[in-house]
Amino acid sequence: MPSFKIQLYSILKSKLQADSVDLETQPGITVSEFLDLACEQYPTMAPYRSVMRLAVNQAYSRDSSIIQDGDEIAIITPVSGG
Amino acid sequence: MAEDLRKRWIQLSREPIDITEAYQFLQTPAAGGLALFIGTTRQWTAGHETLSLTYEGYESMALKEIHRLLDIAVNRWPIHRACLLHRLGEVPLAEASVLVGVATSHRPEAFEACRYLIDRLKVQVPIWKQEHLADGQKIWVQGTESPEPPNS
Repeated sequence: MPSFKIQLYSILKSKLQADSVDLETQPGITVSEFLDLACEQYPTMAPYRSVMRLAVNQAYSRDSSIIQDGDEIAIITPVSGG
Repeated sequence: MAEDLRKRWIQLSREPIDITEAYQFLQTPAAGGLALFIGTTRQWTAGHETLSLTYEGYESMALKEIHRLLDIAVNRWPIHRACLLHRLGEVPLAEASVLVGVATSHRPEAFEACRYLIDRLKVQVPIWKQEHLADGQKIWVQGTESPEPPNS
């Protein structure tokens, strides 16, 4: 089964007290399924589910995109730079 | 034009932003107007006092996203030079956290492109600020809009 290291930043990093968390998935999972699964596995994330975006290989992804084994994954909550 | 990297300067740094250096980078005889926006650490927000801000970024992606915004800007406006500098780590009161600079032949494009870049940066670029408040709290600021994938 594909296994991913999810990078965390900002509020999720604080809430989970970790720079990253691991997630095992079925092959061929979509971005939105991936985020649902991450929230199931790590319920501390769940309150942020509606505002989460998944960055795949350092670019924002669409909900229906398929995640490939080996992709670089990060969860992005609404940014506040500037 | 988008491929000419000498025309753009992008930087994420833990050092203070050198505004003179940005001005010098933007200077060119082709330009008739330079617009610079500088974002700074504000002390008071809706009655609560901020002591400092700390910025964190997903740096590799932030650089890519900034390049993408500049690609869009140089295709939309006749930009001679553009720079986008963001400070990370702690930024004390009144100091600059971000500088967006644009040089164009005439001022309307300079203002428009500069405004576009700072507005989009605040939605798209994966950088976050944490407020250190006078009452001891540390709060991650969450943006009000979610970023979008390209071409949407």
